[in-house]
Amino acid sequence: MKGRYEDENLYWIPVLIIFVFLLPFILKGLSFSYKYYLFVLNMAGIYIILNVGLDLLSGFTGLLSLGHAAFLAVGAYSSAILVDQFGVPFALSLILSPLVAGLFGFVIGFPALRISGMYLGLTTMGFGFIVKRMIIAFREWTHGSGGLDVSSPVLFGYTIKTDWNNYFLIYTFVVIAVVAGRRIAKSKIGRAFMAIRDSEQAAEAAGINLAKYKMLAFFISGLFAGFAGVLFAHTSSFISTDHFDILLSIYFIIMILVGGVSSIYGAVLGTLFIVLLDNLFVPLLKDQIHFWFNTQAGDIQSLIFGLIMFLFIIFQPMGLYGMWLKMRIYWKLFPFNPRQRFT
Amino acid sequence: MKRVVGTLIIIGLLAVGCVKRAPAPGVTDTEVLIGNVQDLSGPLKELGAIIPSGSNMYFQYINDQGGVHGRSIKMLIEDHQYNPQKAVAATKKLVEKDQVFCLFQILGTSPCEAIRPILSETGTPLIAPATNSGTMSDLSREAGDLIFHTDTGYDRQGEILVDYILNQNSDAKIGIVYQDDDYGENVLVGIARAEEEHEITVQKESYQRGAIDFKGQTMNLLKGGCTDVIIAGIVREPVTVMKTAEAMNYKPNFFGTGPTVDARVGKLAGSAGEGFTATYWANMWNSDAPGPILYRELCEKYDIPEPYIGLYHYYGFATAQLLVEGLERAGRNPTRKSLVRGLETFKNWDVGSFPPITYNRNDHAGVDKVQLVQMQNGEQVVITDWLE
Amino acid sequence: MADLIIENLTMRFAGVVALDEVSFSVEKGEIFSLIGPNGSGKTTLFNCINGFNKPQGGKIYFNGENLLDKRPHNIIDSGISRTFQNVQNIPFMTVLDNILLGAHSRIDVKATVQRWLSQDQREIEEAMVLDIMDFLGIANYEQKYMLGQPFGIQKLAEIARALVSKPKLILLDEPAAGMNDQETREIANIIRDIREDLGITVLLVEHDMNLVMSISDRICVLDSGEIITLGEPEEVKTHPKVIEIYLGETADA
Repeated sequence: MKGRYEDENLYWIPVLIIFVFLLPFILKGLSFSYKYYLFVLNMAGIYIILNVGLDLLSGFTGLLSLGHAAFLAVGAYSSAILVDQFGVPFALSLILSPLVAGLFGFVIGFPALRISGMYLGLTTMGFGFIVKRMIIAFREWTHGSGGLDVSSPVLFGYTIKTDWNNYFLIYTFVVIAVVAGRRIAKSKIGRAFMAIRDSEQAAEAAGINLAKYKMLAFFISGLFAGFAGVLFAHTSSFISTDHFDILLSIYFIIMILVGGVSSIYGAVLGTLFIVLLDNLFVPLLKDQIHFWFNTQAGDIQSLIFGLIMFLFIIFQPMGLYGMWLKMRIYWKLFPFNPRQRFT
Repeated sequence: MKRVVGTLIIIGLLAVGCVKRAPAPGVTDTEVLIGNVQDLSGPLKELGAIIPSGSNMYFQYINDQGGVHGRSIKMLIEDHQYNPQKAVAATKKLVEKDQVFCLFQILGTSPCEAIRPILSETGTPLIAPATNSGTMSDLSREAGDLIFHTDTGYDRQGEILVDYILNQNSDAKIGIVYQDDDYGENVLVGIARAEEEHEITVQKESYQRGAIDFKGQTMNLLKGGCTDVIIAGIVREPVTVMKTAEAMNYKPNFFGTGPTVDARVGKLAGSAGEGFTATYWANMWNSDAPGPILYRELCEKYDIPEPYIGLYHYYGFATAQLLVEGLERAGRNPTRKSLVRGLETFKNWDVGSFPPITYNRNDHAGVDKVQLVQMQNGEQVVITDWLE
Repeated sequence: MADLIIENLTMRFAGVVALDEVSFSVEKGEIFSLIGPNGSGKTTLFNCINGFNKPQGGKIYFNGENLLDKRPHNIIDSGISRTFQNVQNIPFMTVLDNILLGAHSRIDVKATVQRWLSQDQREIEEAMVLDIMDFLGIANYEQKYMLGQPFGIQKLAEIARALVSKPKLILLDEPAAGMNDQETREIANIIRDIREDLGITVLLVEHDMNLVMSISDRICVLDSGEIITLGEPEEVKTHPKVIEIYLGETADA
């Protein structure tokens, strides 16, 4: 019976995981500026963890969140405060801080029982502002808006400090988060989430407690975001309210949209795509444009980014994962009936 | 045997690597590469375009004269959209990929704070960060020894303003409207010091960055009977506060810190802005000091478009002078360490752009005084000497 | 013994009476049909049993339990599952997963964690479903996405979803709507098999009179929320009001 599900053909996953952990060595061999690439990948890794959770909430359950940067902030600040001011070990904070963010998610879940769609989006956006105000208000612990220095992560007596070490720390958890997200998505919880999104009646008739599962979606999503926040705080060593801008929340939504909603691998692909595009490809392309046209025009960067996004949404509304599925079906059926698509 | 040969080869390679001393990153025989991270598409995008353009004008002038120690200066500019995380990414790119020699003029407090770990990890100096925050010159912070601040801190500015107000009128009741972010936070530090020194209480009203309505704050100041109001805002905020006060027929003396010295404040506020006094930590760009005179000559020489010329463009120019002097003093074969050493030899360095600047091992603060600039009949007029 | 007892059920929507003092009972192992023109309250009755609508008066008992005390998601635990008039499937899930959704309350949450460790739980879950899929003849579709499947398959998948929870009573809301004669005959067979092979009581709402007459043990005719007649197909067929409703003037001719 194994592998009845084609998605469950797992043979390539170990290969991928080995590749993930070999990548830094490959980069080091290829380029002297590997640290910069690793930094961008680390940032992508943290966002992947968050976006897996966001996808479970907004993609699978259909509860739009425009305040996810705030969950990231809650995780980051909780951990910074727990570790640096209360002396909690980093390893313990890795468990406690996501729980704090999860509890915040639980609280934000209450309005979701009554409202949905764009209204919920606005409510969660409001949550983003509330968290920002809270950070400013609790200045004894958070240093207000002046920002907070955070210690480097210490695990098993080792202090993890450089981009190189951060990479292995972050991507270990990325692998765990993706596997966990995928398991949740493919379990009864994931099915319940999707059922709530597509038909609340069918879900209830099937015995799904809507309130419970909506709250659960917010809680799980908060956990993932809080987890990402812990890694964010300790690997970037300085956090401030400017880090967790409302724009970042919208970026997260764009990432899962680009990846293809309600697919964990889609969230991973979308995050990598946007982060690499925004922080690697576009700046390098901009350098080339400066070189060719001998200019110094700076705001070209946002222009290129916007243009690529625009074209992408027009030509690939199903997202990257949808593109991959189409491609796979195409090759499977080749040379017969190549027109058949996603059915 | 093979293994021995292999080991020898590796040792040999290592030895060669050590002997051939690599030149400092970003320095070639003909060029010094410096990195700058600005807000080119975020909330402060006007500054992001104007400030480095002022610097580039001066670099052009130096390069036309043969450069520094025969090397021309080239500045790479990246965009951070006023987001610290992006600032880190952009700085990493400049330092690791483009291999810049040093960083220069990075805009904003939180971006500068966020990149401290990169500075300390790679030993890259940051010259003249474009923020007034007093935290930049705190040597006890991470990478503090690599940051050379030029501007008077916001905390000092607030403190000096309170001193000045109380000197003019010892019965003054002072109020402050501040932006509740790192900027306002830093001003409050100075205000708190002044409160302690003069044994007064300053009425504090905060607003959120981007706020457009100041009726509540202004009303509170009116009720509190404040005769002198300090506005720790940028451009729109002081304008709105003063207009709101005028509409309420409330006429205290208005003062501003940091970016409020922008000439647009007086222009936009019109009659309400008359008498508005702001702190400024450099010579006015249109004054007769040697720095501004050279500045205006260069503007003419390089055909700088009219809208660029002014305070911020001049600021870019003046900080570029500081960097060039630092590179000059870093020696014929500059390294990042020799640049730091060179800058630390500054002793009352004065080319007439900033007040005299002194750096040494224990002091990277740069300017620590301000002059007051007042709006009089729609023109900015310097009304005081340098205040400490 | 009566399985489902409905007593004096009254349901009003903003003054419109959808159900007016409706009382009947369904025996265990029966195929019981509800018929009547559009708007006569058939689906409302389903929604009341299912907990989606809270009636203003009356009682619903199932195996001695008062269903009106329960919340919608608990009804399935009492052994009642249902399908919908307009099929409600999850398009971006495979047919197999759609059906597994119905097994929600049969799967322990612990399984989520167990499955991280082994594939066994997946096999257990699949085993629950595959029998049902074979039973309905849709086993070939298990891995296909629901999106784009033919309407007939979607209908059957929905029935499968209702069956997989191992109910004692299944509520079928117009299972043959939109189907051709061939498919309707298949549905009729399936409904018989549900009762015969699985021993599940069937409560059916249907417009297709041939289907209803051929498989029902008893039929209840509703009009404007009131019961017009209730009895075996032969009795109902000859009731003048029914003839008027369903055959119109041709009855007089």
